Parts: sequence; structure tokens; C-alpha cells
Amino acid sequence: MAQVRAFDVVTAPQILPAERPRGSTLGRFIRKKPLGAAGGFLVLVLVATALLAGVLATHDPVRTSGTVLVAPGADHWLGTDNLGRDLYSRIVHGSRISLLVGLASTLMGTVVGGLIGLLSGYAGGKTDLLSQRVMDIMQALPILVLALVLAAALGPSLTNAIVAISIPIVPRAARIIRASVLAIRELTYVESARALGARHVRVALRHILPNTMGPFIVLATAQLGGSILVEAALSFLGLGIPEPYPSWGRMLSIAAAEYAEKAPWLVIWPGLAISLAVFGTNLLGDALRDTLDPRLRGS
Amino acid sequence: MRGYVTKRLLIAVVTLVGMSMVIFVLMRLAPGNIVDILFESAGYVDQADKKQLERELGVDRPLVVQYARWMGEVARGDLGKSYRYDMPAWKIIKPRLPVTLELAFLALLFSILLGVPFGVLSAARQDRPLDYVLRVLSLAGLSMPAFWLGMIIILVFVRSLGWMPSITYVSPLVDLKANLWQFAVPALAVGYRSSALIMRITRSAMLEVLREDYIRTAWAKGQRGTLVVWRHALKNASLPVITVIGIEFAFLIGGLVVTETVFNLPGVARYLVDAIQLRDYPVVQNLTMFIAVVVVLANLAVDLLYAWADPRIKYEKA
Amino acid sequence: MRAIALALLLAASLIVGLTLPAPAQAPKYGGVLTVHPLTAPPSLSPHEESTIATVQQVSACYSNLIYFDPPKRQESLETVIPELAEKWSWQDNYRNLVFLLRRDVKWHDGKPFTSRDVKYTFDMVRGAADADAKLRINPRKLWYENVEAIEAPDPHTVVFRLKRPQPSLLLLLASGYSPIYPAHVPLADLKTTCVGTGPYKLKEYRPGEFVEYVKNPDYFVKGRPYLDGVKWIHIKDRSTQIAALQAGQLEVGGSGWNKANAETAKKGKPELIVTENDSNVNDNVLVNFKRAPLNNARVRRAINLALDRKAYLVGPRLGAATFGGAMQPRPTGVWGLPPAEVATLPGMGDPVKQKAEARTLLAAAGFGAGNPMKLTVSTRALSIYVDTASWMVDQLRQVGIDAVLEQIETGVWHPKMTRLDFQVALNLTGTAVDDPDAMLFENFRCGSQRNFSGYCSEEIDRLMVEQSQTLDRAKRLKLVNEIDRRLQADGARLILGWGKQYAVHWPRVKAYPQHENSIFNVSRFQDTWLDK
Repeated sequence: MAQVRAFDVVTAPQILPAERPRGSTLGRFIRKKPLGAAGGFLVLVLVATALLAGVLATHDPVRTSGTVLVAPGADHWLGTDNLGRDLYSRIVHGSRISLLVGLASTLMGTVVGGLIGLLSGYAGGKTDLLSQRVMDIMQALPILVLALVLAAALGPSLTNAIVAISIPIVPRAARIIRASVLAIRELTYVESARALGARHVRVALRHILPNTMGPFIVLATAQLGGSILVEAALSFLGLGIPEPYPSWGRMLSIAAAEYAEKAPWLVIWPGLAISLAVFGTNLLGDALRDTLDPRLRGS
Repeated sequence: MRGYVTKRLLIAVVTLVGMSMVIFVLMRLAPGNIVDILFESAGYVDQADKKQLERELGVDRPLVVQYARWMGEVARGDLGKSYRYDMPAWKIIKPRLPVTLELAFLALLFSILLGVPFGVLSAARQDRPLDYVLRVLSLAGLSMPAFWLGMIIILVFVRSLGWMPSITYVSPLVDLKANLWQFAVPALAVGYRSSALIMRITRSAMLEVLREDYIRTAWAKGQRGTLVVWRHALKNASLPVITVIGIEFAFLIGGLVVTETVFNLPGVARYLVDAIQLRDYPVVQNLTMFIAVVVVLANLAVDLLYAWADPRIKYEKA
Repeated sequence: MRAIALALLLAASLIVGLTLPAPAQAPKYGGVLTVHPLTAPPSLSPHEESTIATVQQVSACYSNLIYFDPPKRQESLETVIPELAEKWSWQDNYRNLVFLLRRDVKWHDGKPFTSRDVKYTFDMVRGAADADAKLRINPRKLWYENVEAIEAPDPHTVVFRLKRPQPSLLLLLASGYSPIYPAHVPLADLKTTCVGTGPYKLKEYRPGEFVEYVKNPDYFVKGRPYLDGVKWIHIKDRSTQIAALQAGQLEVGGSGWNKANAETAKKGKPELIVTENDSNVNDNVLVNFKRAPLNNARVRRAINLALDRKAYLVGPRLGAATFGGAMQPRPTGVWGLPPAEVATLPGMGDPVKQKAEARTLLAAAGFGAGNPMKLTVSTRALSIYVDTASWMVDQLRQVGIDAVLEQIETGVWHPKMTRLDFQVALNLTGTAVDDPDAMLFENFRCGSQRNFSGYCSEEIDRLMVEQSQTLDRAKRLKLVNEIDRRLQADGARLILGWGKQYAVHWPRVKAYPQHENSIFNVSRFQDTWLDK
């Protein structure tokens, strides 16, 4: 396969020195990486909205009413949809779904992939070769097509959507963790630890795992945005989150099909929500990668 | 070089076989009897007909046999039959191929035309305001759902500018102007997102190259400015960019699926979605395999191009 | 003298000219009618499908024995006109129906049309043991269960022998679902191509894209059709449908549209002509009689009361719907319940009172705040279904029912319904003909394939058969209303409301047919023309 991957971190991470420089890390981060800080802020807004959805919403997101297709105004800040549901409240509650699906699938994918990568890199030999090929195969199919087929087979439901979206993440996570493991495995102190009789598992957990945290975090942040996008696309095509959960992607599919002309706010706001959420995670992910792995600056 | 090529071919074949297994397993995860699913209209199923269909589809045989049968068909290039429309799948796909191919080609063109120059510019003005602006714009492109971008474009173009291309496909051979009118906007919608990817890779590859000693020497010698940047750096940065185009393909196909849906283009990618929604599982299976083959072949082509262009590989000892 | 005579003549002719009615515009030949369907057809064979999508897109190609007169908006026995049959007559007190067929008809491939084709078609549809062809899927077999035998004594005569009198058989044969198939063409071919005797010949069928027809120069009605062709272009996205119509790329739009869509189209292009009509498509709730707690009549009534029909009108229907029982409401429907009676049906009254009553009934059945009834509302994964179902879930929650929505893919919907694998389901039902024989037998008869509720009442079955044989119109109406009354009381299928249909077209489209009590029998376009 080609040698450069868009979002891959193929080189090993730098082992961070024991001493940490003085001064507030957060403050330095904001000054040095303003874009990343902006991204972080957006992600914080997303998380806060998801947690406080009940408080922030003005109406019940599922309650239908007779005030259909009303333009944004005092009563309904972002207008209503064709069943009279308040769009603002639906978007606020939709953040819960997006975050839930994004986090759950990213977590599942990175953990499963990470374990595979850990095993593969540490064991080496035939296991490594086999799992590498399998990961290559899984990675070669376009994410959306893979998720589509899976969602089609399993049917539209919350759990199935999470599973479908997490699967394309597995090979990417495996690849990164494996690279880190390979680099670290050779290091002297690991060999000395082994020489001192430490068992494999102990070595893996205590020495290798902590040092793969950096690329792990970067991957997770990057994939979070990707997961949100894939969920949106699946829901748009009718194969993702079903009713009554308010999903941003599905809000767009119904709106686009029926009322784009009459009620453009139904198209603008859910899409903007998705874009801002993903934008935030991307900015943050980029900045984190730059910070945790200076060798990749400028990527 | 030969060793590299053989290795890549082998990997491609193994990947395809592996993918076919993944697809096969995925499709079998669906609950329910496929024959029930195909007989949706009246739910009125004659038992004898059901048995005959089961035999035809081979679902009464063990899984391994089914897989072998399918592999035989794939090797022959047989795309099977659409049970929803009761005609060979190829007959439905054939008129749709030019649509998807044209859209993909134009999108790729746009993405390169936008991505490469901006990537170079961004690298040349690293950490200056222009760099930030371009990086933000490209990241914004990657953050937007492809279908939403399409919808917004339609809202703006149709509502405000009255752009309304033909609703049925017009071949470029019949009417080039109408055809480009129909494809330009969706290609832009898909291409914008892909251009972001290319821009980022170009930028990073350029930065890598710009750090190289011989460039610094040239700068120190006073050969600053555009000439140096474009001639030396670009030539060497082109390799990673080429490889990204291979990855682009997989990324692009996802964008094609939703864009064809939003812009009502009768392409192959949209047919995949239609087939899924119609529960035409045999077609879904074969079409997904078809896409997988295309992606692997595209990557292989890029790998070979890379091999030809990179002197390190070209002259590698076997 | 001569001047006065001339002046008088002038005045006379002026008066005559002003009082005479303006001559009707003479139809022009030429032009292609571009129109979008409800959705892409699953196949081109009407006898094997149950969706308007197929019927509307192949009616141009086929012919029936008899058809409904396009310009007459309310379909009934009085508006039936001859097509392949020149004359027909009932014999033996409505027990035998004799058709005398035209002699000058050719199939699109040149072969002559004979009575053999008619016998072939209806033996196949009724599932006769000795039929030449068998339908793999046969949704309307029950329509012809009363047919004992079909005889073709000579190439231009067909006789339907019935077991008992059935005056409505004529209407069933006039429906868009009853075209005549060619006996000489393999049945499997007709799913992807069309060989008919209709005004238009199939030019090209691209699945998921379009169905294109050209004028049939040998059509048996001389001087018809006026159009050069008809093209049904599949556009999935509603706003694209509207935009295409406004841009002039479509001549006609409106299939599947609601009031908001029609208004949007007209707003952008005020010249467009919008026709709003009642339709014979209703939103209904299928209640699975065989599953607890829905086998409890109180629970069924509670659900019915909880669904406030006025809210339904304003919400999902955007102000455009009519209300009634199982038969299409009057005045556009022929067999509907009297309006005064409709107003007393559950769900039609004061929502506050009715919701309170619903709660009481649920409590009597053992459900309440501590023990809410759990209910899954299933529906098809299409926006017209999902919207109404979402509204329904909300209404049920308002009376304390813990309702959730389950979306089912189109491909799996009918088998699931037939297997009674659901609790309640939000459904759309459109019957091909506004006739009790079609509507009641198909949907409520014990053991009917499309009786999705599992409802079975011997008494109702008996009444159904009785009304089918009743020749006196008034008496029959009484019987039908009685059946309807009981069906509503039993809660066999909760009727939410009857939607409206819209046709939006350019003024240059003339004689575009729209019927008030059907959407299925108007797409032949044999008299439609374009004023270009």
C-alpha cells in the first residue's frame, strides 16, 4: 500500500523528558496554539451542551405541535420543523446523540484497534503479519461504504450505528499503536525490564502503554470528528439513528427532501452544528498532534 | 523495482480476497430470510416459488459453497442479477458508470487544482497569516458534511441564482455545455473537501522538502523566491502527493455517494444506496465488491506510479 | 335601404356572435409530457404490484376492457367507458358479464388482440387451477374470488361467469390495476418491459431513472393520442421536484406532494395551475388484534381516543384532509358514512375530554402512572409515514402510554405486516377503486392477505358478501354504512384521516385528468395535450 497516509502517525513518538517546564501548560498552549485553543473551546461547548441539554433546551424536542414551519423568532429561536417541533431544542438534544455516538464509536474503535495493535506489535512474527494484512484490508474500503453496508445489514438503531461507525476506526488505531509499540519495544529499559524477569503483560502495561498515549489521544480526537461525520451521513441516508432520537444528520435528510425552499433554517442550522462540532475536534486534534509530537509539525 | 512491483501486486490480490470475505460476512449479518425480503410487495409467498428462488440464490447451500460460487462469479466479472428490478445488474450499472466516472474525474481535477497551489502557498508562507487562513479554510472543508455542502450550494444556486441543470443525464458527447453545467457544481462540492486533504499533504510534504539542506544552501546562495520553491521543492514533494491521490479515491467515493443523492445524478454510487434501501442484497454485495476492486486497483496504480517516480525504489536491488 | 339592411345584418351577426358559446380550443398534436412519479416503480407489471408507483407509470402503455372517463371527476358506475370492450351487458341477474370486444386492436408488437388475452389475464389473476400463467405475487386475487369461470366462445367475446351477483365487478375491471396482458409474451418479461395496446409504446426503461414512452401510431382510437410521448422522470428529492417543475423541465408535478409543497411551487411561479382534490388514500393505524394488550377492546378504544384528529389535520396534514370511516368520505366518496355520524367517531371530539376518557379506559385495563403501557409504533421508513408516526407517538405519550417509534425498511414492511409481527403500525392505504368490494374484501375479510390487523368477524364477512350482491343502491349503501360503523366500533383499523392529492402543472398542459375518489385510474393520458 502507499507509504503516506493522510491522518496516520507512522513514526514513533518522542519519549517525553521526565522534567516538565515551568509555567501553566494551559496558558502556554493557548498562546502557542491559538487555533487549537479555539478548537478546544468549541469541543467544550459541545460537551457542555450535551450535558446540559435539558437545561438549555426551550421546548421538548419530540413534542409535535400545530405551529409548523415557523420562521426563527422570539418563541422558537431557530424556528420549527414540519411537525411543529422546536429546531433549537432538537439541535441542543442532538448534540447528546452526536457526542454519544462519536465518543462511543471512537472509544470502541480505538480500544479494540489499540489492543490489536499492541498484540501485533509486541508479538511480532506471523501474528503481526497476519493482523497487518487484515488491518490493511479493512482500511482499504471507503469508510462510508463499509459503514453503509454494515448499517444496512444490521438495520438502523443506535447500537448498530455505533458499531458500524467504530469498525473503520479499528485498523487506523491498530496501525498507530503498533508503530509505537515497535519503536518502544527496542528500547533498552524495556529489555532490561524483561531481563529482570518482568512478565510480558506487566511490561506491556507499565512501559509500552503509557508512551503510546500521545498518538492515541491524537487519533481519538481526530476520529471523533470523523465519527460524527459518518453518523451524519448514515442518518442522512436513512440508515443511522432512528426516530425518536434527534439526530443532526437525520434532521437534514427530511429537511432537504421536503422543505428546503420553504424553510431554509431547517437546512442551515443542523448542518452548521455538525460542521462546528467537527471543526472544533479537528482544530484541537491538529494542535494536540503538534504539541505531543513535535516531529510532525507542519503536517 | 521488479521486487517492489511483484510485492504490491501480491498484496493487492490478497487485499481483494480479504475484502471479499469481509463483504460476504457483512452481508450475511442481515436478519431475516433474503427471499422474504425480496418478496416485499404482497407478502404473498408461494412455498414452491420460494424454494426455487432459494435454490437460485444458493442460500440453501452451506456458507463456504456460497462463498466459492460468488468468487467464481467475481472472477468472471459477473455482477449478478438485480432481484428488485429483475434484470442483470450490469444492465443497470452500465449507463450509470459514465456519470460517476465523470463526477469523480472532475472532482479530482478540482481538488488538485485547488489543493496543490494552496498547499504550496501555505508552505511558502508558513506560520504567516495567509498560512493560517488557508489552513482554517481547508480544515473547514474537511469538517463540513459533504451532503450539507451540496445542500447549501443548491439553496444558494437554485434559490438565488436560478441555476437548474438538466434533471436527466446529458452525455458530454451529445451536449458538452449542458453536461458541464450539470456536473460543475456537484464536482466542486465533492472536490472542495478532497482539495483540503491534498492541500494539507502538499503543505507538509513541501515543508519537509524546504527544510532539506540543499534548499537552504540555494537560499543562502541568494536564489530565493518563487523559482527555488517551485522547481526544486515541488518536484520532490510530488511523490507524497501522488500517493495521497490513491487514498483520495477511497475518500472521494464516500463523497460521491451523498453528492449523487443530493444532486439527483444517476450514478453508480447512488445506485448502491438505492440497492441498500430496496434490500436488493445480491446487488449490494456485488456492487460493494466492485467498488473495492476499483479502490484497490486505483491504489495499485498509484503505488506503481510512485515506484516509477521514486528513484530509491526504481534502482533498488532485487 | 341597403345600408339599413347591412347594418341590421351586422347587428344581428354581432348579437349572435356574442351569445354563442366560445368555440372550445382545438387540441394540438405534439409535445412530450414530462412528469415525475411518486417513486421509482418496483417493476412494470401492475398485476404483481400494490403501489401507485407502478400503476401510474405503465397506464400509458396498457388498456383495460373498460376504463373510467378521464374528464369525469367522481368515478362511479356511471362514468365507465369502453376501451377494449365495445359493449357489455349483464345477464342472468348480474351473474354473467358478457363483453363484446373491439376487432381492430393490435398489440404493440403487431400481434392481434383477441379474447384469449382477456381469459389469460384474468385466469392468471384469479389463480385458476388451469391458468396458463401463474403470478408469483398476487395481491388482488381476492377481487376475483367470485368468478367461477371465464369463457372465450369466439375471438371477440368474453364471458365472466360468477358464483353470485356482483355489480361491482365492472368497477374492479375498470381500475388501473386491471389491464389486459398479452397471452403471447412471457410473464417474467413484463416486469421490465411493456407490451400493451395502449396509446403509448415503451421507448426505454432505466430503473431508478426514467420510464419513456412514444406515441403509438396504431392506437385503436383514431386521432389519439395527441402527445408525441410521455416521460416519467424519477426525482427522489422533493425540493428538486419543485425546482424542476418551476424551471420548466417538468410539465406536471404533484405526485406525493402535500399542501406546503404545492404552495411553494406556485409561489415561485404564479402561472402554475394547482388542483387540490380529495383522494382515496387514508392514514390508518393497524392494530394487531392477536397481541396483548391490543386484544382488549378498551385499550383499542383508548388509543383511538388519544389520537386527536384535529391536531392530525393541522400537524402532519398541514390543513388538508377529510375525515370518515373505512370508505372514502362524502361527498367525493360514494360510500362514506353520513357526515353527522363521522363527527361522533372516536378522536373527532374534544381532545381534552377524549384524552381523559382514554386514560380512564387504560386504567380500567390495568395501566397507569405506575404501570405505563409499553407500545411500539411501527411504520415504513419513508418521510410521509415517519412524520405522521412521530406525531402519533407524541399523542400516545400524552395519555401516559410509553410509545416509541420503530422504522421498518420498505423491503421488509409487507412481510412483517403479513406475519403480524408488530403491535400497532402507522399505515397508508389507497384502494384502486372507491368501491366496497375492493376496499372491504381486501382489508377486512377473514384471512385476506392484506388484512394486516388479523381482524376476523364472521358476521362482518357475511354482511360483506350480502352487500356485494345487493343490486339496489340505497339498500347497499345502508349495508355498507352498517359494516363501516361496526368496523369503527371494533377498532379494526383506526382511520386517522383521508389526505388530499395535488396536481401542479403549467397552463399549456390541457385535459390533465384528476379524479376525486382515486389516484390510480388517471394516468393513461389518451386525451391530454400540450398547447405549445
